[in-house]
Amino acid sequence: MSEKGIGRRDFMKSSVAGLGSFFLLPGKTDGLGLRAQESKSGEKKIIHRTLGKTGIKLPPINMGVMNSDNPNLVRAALSGGMVMLDTAQTYQRGTNETMIGEVLKGRPRDSFVLATKARLPNDQKTGLYLPESTEEAFTKKIDTSLKSLGLDYVDIYYHHNVWVRDSALYEPIMNALLKAKKAGKTRFVGITTHRNEPEVIQAAIDSKFYDVILTTYNFKQKHYPEVRSAMARAAETGLGVVVMKAMGGRYLQEDSKEPIDPSAAMKWVLQDPNAHTIIAGFTTFDQMNLDLSVMENPALTKPEKAHLQRGALMAGLYCQGCGQCLARCSQNLPIPDLMRAYMYVYGYRNVVAAQDVVASLDLPLNVCGDCSSCPITCVNGFRVRDRVRNVVRLRNVPPEFIA
Amino acid sequence: MERRFYMLFFTAVALLCVLLPPEANAQGKSTSFPMMNGWKQSEAIQTYSPPNLYDYINGASDLYLTYDFQELQVAEYNRADKASVIVEIYRHGSPTNAFGIYSQERMANADFLEIGAQGYYEDKNLNFLNGPYYVKISSSKTGADDREILVQFAKKVTANLGEHKAFPSLLVSFPEEGKVKNADKFIGKNFLGYSYFHSAFTVDYNLSGQKFQLFLMPGDSADDCRNRLQRYFQQVKRPSDQVAEKRYEISDPYHGSIEIFWKGKYIGGILNLSPSPLREKYLSSLEARLPK
Repeated sequence: MSEKGIGRRDFMKSSVAGLGSFFLLPGKTDGLGLRAQESKSGEKKIIHRTLGKTGIKLPPINMGVMNSDNPNLVRAALSGGMVMLDTAQTYQRGTNETMIGEVLKGRPRDSFVLATKARLPNDQKTGLYLPESTEEAFTKKIDTSLKSLGLDYVDIYYHHNVWVRDSALYEPIMNALLKAKKAGKTRFVGITTHRNEPEVIQAAIDSKFYDVILTTYNFKQKHYPEVRSAMARAAETGLGVVVMKAMGGRYLQEDSKEPIDPSAAMKWVLQDPNAHTIIAGFTTFDQMNLDLSVMENPALTKPEKAHLQRGALMAGLYCQGCGQCLARCSQNLPIPDLMRAYMYVYGYRNVVAAQDVVASLDLPLNVCGDCSSCPITCVNGFRVRDRVRNVVRLRNVPPEFIA
Repeated sequence: MERRFYMLFFTAVALLCVLLPPEANAQGKSTSFPMMNGWKQSEAIQTYSPPNLYDYINGASDLYLTYDFQELQVAEYNRADKASVIVEIYRHGSPTNAFGIYSQERMANADFLEIGAQGYYEDKNLNFLNGPYYVKISSSKTGADDREILVQFAKKVTANLGEHKAFPSLLVSFPEEGKVKNADKFIGKNFLGYSYFHSAFTVDYNLSGQKFQLFLMPGDSADDCRNRLQRYFQQVKRPSDQVAEKRYEISDPYHGSIEIFWKGKYIGGILNLSPSPLREKYLSSLEARLPK
């Protein structure tokens, strides 16, 4: 131990934030139907969940067809046990719907669930619809989808890509969807949201109009607790909850280049009983087979949990280097560099690299010492002063205790 | 020697002109966007790069990223009568990648136009391919003259970008007879659903109702082709095959019967056509037309 009384283990122990709510019910997954089920013949059975008040029973993972132009991949997904195909009119300018329509030709109508979606012009900054976004325009979109798919009706037609409450409740689109539902063009109506999800989900609940929500939800979202709560409220009122973007990207953190384990990411979502199903956007047979294996056994393993925890820690540790803090610090501390050092310690577990960073900085002896309160409000919500004080302690740790 | 130097120099300059992004003028506006009589261009040009393309086209962005998307610039034009036109210029890493995303979104039965390498008009939308650029122009409240207005915009944008009429040169390797027009594609990644098959050109054929597809994948080298085939043989449970430059009859678990060949830096093959003189004819023709 050094004369300052700080060693590597003590340093690490003292600061890692709790991840108590990260896993819903660690070690108690039976109630969520997450254990692999076996039939009497020993063959693995896929669990199914009910999509809210629609009553549609779905396996936990289905196919988001958006990036695939491979009809045999879609056929294999359906043969493998997936039931729902999710597409959109904009995917490949409608050719995705056309390709799916070819695959579905001749299949019994009750053997698959087809979900598609459309959007109308909106202001990219405010998210509000423009005057040309009319009921007629949305009806035309619905009719075009049916024509491309070669179907008389779809199972879910989504109002696509909404991120503000007012747009979720936009009457021209709701009217078009209502009329489509009454005309038998769609069995159910839904809404999709990729950002500001809790607000949109709450609007969908309040509207008492939508049957299904399709939302982004993954372990890397900084606001996943809010999304999770909103999903729970939605499910409680009978809305079906479909999850997209379950992976949360390719890497745990862009600059770490550690790939996300796709099984772990999807299993994390499926721990949540209110996530009725995931749409997965695979484009290879290997990816599909991996998803099918998750469908058979969605329980998280210990290594998968550790992987996800590491990813969540990194997400909460990553300073984007916007530099807004620099002008506010009266000591002119290189705060982005210190945040990077902090991430090295608590994200990458690389104390040596962190100490190198700290040692390379021209820091005053009494860091933060003259300030009774910190004037910095980090855009990421970091408690900058705490982190700075924490990581500068590395100056006092002899290198031989770290290497 | 001097002549060779100048040829190399001009070739390099031509390549740079095609691949470099358009410049901005003194006012900071991209020079790709033309001045149009009677139209006022919005002050701000929106620019998107790979990390934030999603903000503009949402889920569709994933596919663009597989085609080496580099940058999107968007400008809006407005007319006094409230008509508006939006010009989107997607720049990809190469003309082949721009063709790839263009081919993914092109309908074979569209109303085609001679703009750039190719374009088409479809209900208030005009899209075209021009070198590494995929340009999409859309309109609102333009009335009966919509098609003509969008063509005018497209021609001026093409002029500003420098017109590039060529499709990827490898497409000429495919036999012409029976080719379905405007259905040729470039698949950037995961061709046939296999991660090791990428950069594939495909052409659809329809001969008296018999539909099949030829494909061609240029490799980085002969070794690259060998490696890809070895992985494929492992996938289709034929790991013992010695990979050599020849044809193979494969029973693919997902695609059925495929005849595939390796020749030099190319892997090619035919899908959806059972063994027959016709299959032999088309494969031989494709092999014979490969670049030397």
